[in-house]
Amino acid sequence: MMNRFNHLPTLKVDTTQKLAFIYKGEKYYGVKGDTVASALFANGVRIFGRSLKYHRPRGLYSLDGECSNTCMEVDGVPNVRCENTLLEDGMVIKEQNVKGSAEKDYLGFLDKMDWMMPAGFYYNVMHKPAKVWPIAMKQIRKAAGLGKISPDYEMPGKFDEIFLNTDVCVIGGGPSGMTAALCAAQKGLRVVLMESRPWLGGFFEYRSREYQDGQTLNERARHLAKEVEAQDNIRVFTHTSAVGTYNNNLVTGFQIGKKENVFDERYIEIRAKSVVAAAGCIERPLIFDHNERPGVMQIGCALRMAKTYGQMPGKKAVFSIGHDLGLEAALELHDLGLAIACIADIREDGQDSDLVRKIEDKKIPLLKGWVATKAHGAKIVKKVSISSLDGQVSKTFPCDLIVASAGMTPVTGHITVAQGTLKYDNHTGFFLPDMMPEKMHAAGRILGLNDPLSIEASGTLAGLQAAFDCENCSIQEIGEAKKALENLPGPVRGSKLVTAPVKGRKSFICFDEDATIKNIKQAIDKGFDMPELIKRFTATGLGPGQGGIPGHNLPLYVAKYQALPDISIRPTNVRPPLVPTLISTYAGVNHKMFKITPMDEMQKKDGGVFRNIGVWQRARYFSNDVTCQNEIENVRKNVGMLDGSTLGKFRIHGPDALKALQRVFVSDMTKVKQGRVKYSAMCNDDGCVIDDGVVVKQGENDYYFTTSSGRAGQTVEWIRYHTRYDGWDFALVNLTDSLGVINLSGPNARKVLEKIVDIELSNEAFGYSEYKEFKIADAIPTRAMRLGFVGELSYELHVPSSYMKAVWLMLREAGKEFNIQNFGVEAQNVLRMEKCHIILGQESEQRTNLLDVGLGFLWDRNKADAKTVGAIALRQAENDQTRLKLVGFKMENNTRAPRDGALVVDDKVRGYIATARDSFSLNEAVGMALVEGELSKIGTRLEIYEDECGDDRIYGTVVKMPFYDPEGTRMKM
Amino acid sequence: MALTITCPICGKRNGYEFRFGGEEKGPRPDEKDLTPEKWCDYVHMNKCVAGVQEEWWFHKDGCGSWFKIHRDTTTNLEKEVKDENKVQKAKSGGQK
Repeated sequence: MMNRFNHLPTLKVDTTQKLAFIYKGEKYYGVKGDTVASALFANGVRIFGRSLKYHRPRGLYSLDGECSNTCMEVDGVPNVRCENTLLEDGMVIKEQNVKGSAEKDYLGFLDKMDWMMPAGFYYNVMHKPAKVWPIAMKQIRKAAGLGKISPDYEMPGKFDEIFLNTDVCVIGGGPSGMTAALCAAQKGLRVVLMESRPWLGGFFEYRSREYQDGQTLNERARHLAKEVEAQDNIRVFTHTSAVGTYNNNLVTGFQIGKKENVFDERYIEIRAKSVVAAAGCIERPLIFDHNERPGVMQIGCALRMAKTYGQMPGKKAVFSIGHDLGLEAALELHDLGLAIACIADIREDGQDSDLVRKIEDKKIPLLKGWVATKAHGAKIVKKVSISSLDGQVSKTFPCDLIVASAGMTPVTGHITVAQGTLKYDNHTGFFLPDMMPEKMHAAGRILGLNDPLSIEASGTLAGLQAAFDCENCSIQEIGEAKKALENLPGPVRGSKLVTAPVKGRKSFICFDEDATIKNIKQAIDKGFDMPELIKRFTATGLGPGQGGIPGHNLPLYVAKYQALPDISIRPTNVRPPLVPTLISTYAGVNHKMFKITPMDEMQKKDGGVFRNIGVWQRARYFSNDVTCQNEIENVRKNVGMLDGSTLGKFRIHGPDALKALQRVFVSDMTKVKQGRVKYSAMCNDDGCVIDDGVVVKQGENDYYFTTSSGRAGQTVEWIRYHTRYDGWDFALVNLTDSLGVINLSGPNARKVLEKIVDIELSNEAFGYSEYKEFKIADAIPTRAMRLGFVGELSYELHVPSSYMKAVWLMLREAGKEFNIQNFGVEAQNVLRMEKCHIILGQESEQRTNLLDVGLGFLWDRNKADAKTVGAIALRQAENDQTRLKLVGFKMENNTRAPRDGALVVDDKVRGYIATARDSFSLNEAVGMALVEGELSKIGTRLEIYEDECGDDRIYGTVVKMPFYDPEGTRMKM
Repeated sequence: MALTITCPICGKRNGYEFRFGGEEKGPRPDEKDLTPEKWCDYVHMNKCVAGVQEEWWFHKDGCGSWFKIHRDTTTNLEKEVKDENKVQKAKSGGQK
């Protein structure tokens, strides 16, 4: 392990604290503060992985995760961006996209096969003859793709989400972002500051140049960070990338958790009144032959390896740069002990004279108007060729490090994603903000600024503009801040060179997708003249780096190659997420939420087997017998109890309550009489039946009604929607959760209930389809209905949820002598099916109307004034012969019941099975099916097709409904 | 969701809290003399304006009311539209 600098004030590593990790099965050590990438580099790893197409060796390049070069498998998670991931003790790291190892990849020969893989080769090569493609495809698929994942892979880790409201959201924790945040905070506003690196400081943080009055930039960054952290109304999120910006000032991002956090990654959604975009610049890659060989690095990468992680990025270096930062870095690294053979500066002139003088003082050769043309070395850099820009003169230097960068490029994604526009600026060579999105302001290097004081002044201005959006700042203040900025140095002239004078066969414009300059030329020659088209045809910028490497170079090069004027240089579109984000981060926490009924605990004790049904968890069975024979027979012979608390329960009252009921229920609701239960249904505007339930009248203009369990959530919305124009006066109260329901059914139900209530329960006093209100034990207010859903004598008791357990226990005690037992949802399903009572969603689907399921008798057609929802459509459907009809059927020759959803066929599909079961009560298999009209006659033979039955069919016969107790004497007794 | 919606009762809230209820098409037509075509148009046909449209929203995770807003469908931003009728209605409501 190499020695590290440990005296630099800029260091972010603690060299005294060692962290162990496993790489390729062997133990290595990094130090606290290392990223996975810097720890590997410290251990001599130069080749981190292999590229997508050509399996070229790849290594450190940007240090900010702008390309897939350093994507690795960490602790079993593929495609981890190692430059952005902090090392943890015990991490297991593997290289990916290699056959063999990154050092010796058996697929490395593909690099020589590039002639076989021109731009868009998968569209137009290996298709002739057609036979070749399936074979070729298999090989390509095997070789392509970054990282491996199995289909049943489960993402480890903890994920979280937060939703924030703030006045100002600042994207970027560099000098301009921090200044903007401070400025807005000092105006009394709440500020959220997002910084993608694990610390604040940005462009100042790793530099030792003088800021002002002997203070270094690094010291200034620390000073600003301290001020920011001391400000109570600034909430700082470090290691947090903003990945999306939308209108209405919505910003999304994700935060990487520290060890002490309860999350590994956290989704953040921020609603702000104003947004400041201050994401700064990244470097624009310099393109020359083998410009991505391990050993070629950007300026920031080389400099920060030394200043942040305390590692010398190489032993002997050649610089090929186009920005003053390159000169600054050369000086700093030289002082730290790096041997520099030569600095080739793309710019003929315009360098910072102070820096040039210092370079001359140190006797470092500086060649202006020169550029690197080729990195030599089979796997890592061994030497470099540089030449004058015209390619006439060249030199070669042995070296192990090439610091290469064509210039800077602003990170404008946050502006364009929010529909802001950019304009190419000839002075800087940048795409600068043109039209900013409403209430978004740009600050710092995004504006092309480079001078430290200008950068901060632009932050102040943006902070004030944001405060203005929050009505906390005057126009005058903004005017003053603008003037202050204008008096400081403006944007510096930038270099516009994209490529060295090379042919470009091995000059990579996009590392992730292995796209070369030659590929771009091929695409243009094929007629793809726009960057947006070339991007797709060559896949340039479509990799994990999200266009960070080729985003700026592609439009510049395309314009140059086609000799287009500046005005036509347009950037390609970027889209969120601007930084690769885990799907699991978007998914957030899985809360596994469901509702439980008041009887949940009791039923669990009684051995209930629970299933999630809609929003509820309900007891489906009370034994391991999924046919529920015992539960069913006990209801038919004795008495059973069912928890029906999931039913939707509503009270509607007020002067216009009846009008509202008339609007949504198909029946004539004026006929609802006190003391009687009215069964009815609701349709949608297409006449399709969506809900059924019972209505009772509790008093004048006061009704209580039930809906099916699944519809409870939408009922208020539905009734309010269909009465929204009428201005009717009624109140609608959802009682679903406050009332529980017990269904007491079976021939002995009366005998059980008699023991706990005081009222007369004889058939004459409380008959079928009647409704009563009374108190159990003088205390428990009870609504009771005599219904017959399961086809037996049955009482439905609606009691307050808090009393449910008491009533349940009383009934169980009272029912002991009659062998009372629980029955679950499945038993109820069979019982009601034998009676041909339908369950919507089971005997109906989306297109099934009221008439199809045989509920036409509910519909009152003489209430046109009520404008009943669905009535018009029903009238139209009435004579439609093509609709499916619900029929009952029994199976021939004692065969078993078909599965629910099986098809009724002849030479085509003619219908389907809704519910069918082997009935214990009837001793045969029966069921209901929705079939075409001509199959609905009694006696028709139904041919039933089940999944995977091949040519075998089973047969049923249409019979009269219901199957059980057709006269209904049992439920009315 | 970038959309915000201003509920007349709860104020400006995140779009997550609301359910869309379709374009404003006026009250349900009278059933008398209503042709199936006209009815179908009322229920199913939409103008799909690229621009400002009046539409219904339901504050499902809030006060539970249905109300109308004007929204620019191209930017997803709410627009304030001065509706003289609305003012009138409010006035007459006040007198009641």
